[in-house]
Amino acid sequence: MVLLKNLHPPTEGVRHEQAETTAVLDGQRLGCGTLYVAETRLSWFDSSGLGFSLEYPSIGLHAISRDVSAYPQEHLYVMVNGKLNKENEAEMAEKAADDDDDGSSDGGDDDEDEGAITEIRFVPSDKAALESMFSAMCECQALHPDPEDDDSDNDFEGEEYDVEEAEAEHGHADIPTFYTCDEGLSALTQEGQATLERLEGMLAESVAQQYHMAGVRTEETKAEFEDGMEVDTAAMEAGQFEDADVEHW
Amino acid sequence: PEHTSVFLSNLYSFSFKKKKKQPTATLTVQLTLACVSAPQLFYSFFKSLVGKDVVVELKNDLSICGTLHSVDQYLNIKLTDISVTDPEKYPHMLSVKNCFIRGSVVRYVQLPADEVDTQLLQDAARKEAMQQKQ
Repeated sequence: MVLLKNLHPPTEGVRHEQAETTAVLDGQRLGCGTLYVAETRLSWFDSSGLGFSLEYPSIGLHAISRDVSAYPQEHLYVMVNGKLNKENEAEMAEKAADDDDDGSSDGGDDDEDEGAITEIRFVPSDKAALESMFSAMCECQALHPDPEDDDSDNDFEGEEYDVEEAEAEHGHADIPTFYTCDEGLSALTQEGQATLERLEGMLAESVAQQYHMAGVRTEETKAEFEDGMEVDTAAMEAGQFEDADVEHW
Repeated sequence: PEHTSVFLSNLYSFSFKKKKKQPTATLTVQLTLACVSAPQLFYSFFKSLVGKDVVVELKNDLSICGTLHSVDQYLNIKLTDISVTDPEKYPHMLSVKNCFIRGSVVRYVQLPADEVDTQLLQDAARKEAMQQKQ
């Protein structure tokens, strides 16, 4: 829900306060009042107590508009995700004592479809204040990052990986979920790298044999064995180590 | 010009979409990063792109073209010299020069292809994902 029912302007953590600011909500002029850029929320109230508040996570974008040919006055433009229930908003602000929120919540939570936005313009009489208003909003936005949510991790909005497409493009299947040889090489630890070199050296000795290594040596970079056996890499005699005991390394 | 799109969704997953002028060739690579360090990766990545022209597509379908001015750790983006790619739909944005975009509303960030080493980014992302699993 975007709007709060708090009718009182924030008193703490107000980064910027701008009086004589007109609020225009989706093209509808709400009147002249005071904009409060507070750390907790963005609020605007006029002198009669009519107003609204916005939660920063609901503000997708804000900007300074200076092109008077597009809009006649320089102002702070704010784009809010979802639709504000502006018909009831005035009622909410005026009926201070009423906790009755039927009609005010109607549709307010439903309009969360991604395309719906509300455009608000804050037009201060003092145009020089726009930079401060903008900066204050930037600072406050940074105070409200989205909570880390593991559930939404797998919610892909993009296209699925198309193997056929990729094959057509590359001629081979580079499927990201598989841990390919190329990736593996770059992700090896030092130990792993040493092991790989050792194994490769051993394979060069005996093409027909397959060894299962139990231990890992990090201090040796060449295929040298602790028991003193020198390995001649030039000798490609198959079956040379057929009866070797590999377990005791 | 060729663009590489980097898709951000809650800072945990991204996909590349490399579009060429001829629609026949499309490379889509999708990586899942179930880790907390992924935002750091993209933070560093985007910091390296400050000053470049990008197109930010929001989840509400609005696309904004501009120069990347700055980015913060939450991937909030500041753009300068912006222009809206669909002014008919969003006429109010026409008069805006600089803007601050909340990271959580960003769907895609399109980057010039020659500015991005997709292979490098892909590898870096996978490394982070794997490190996080350990």
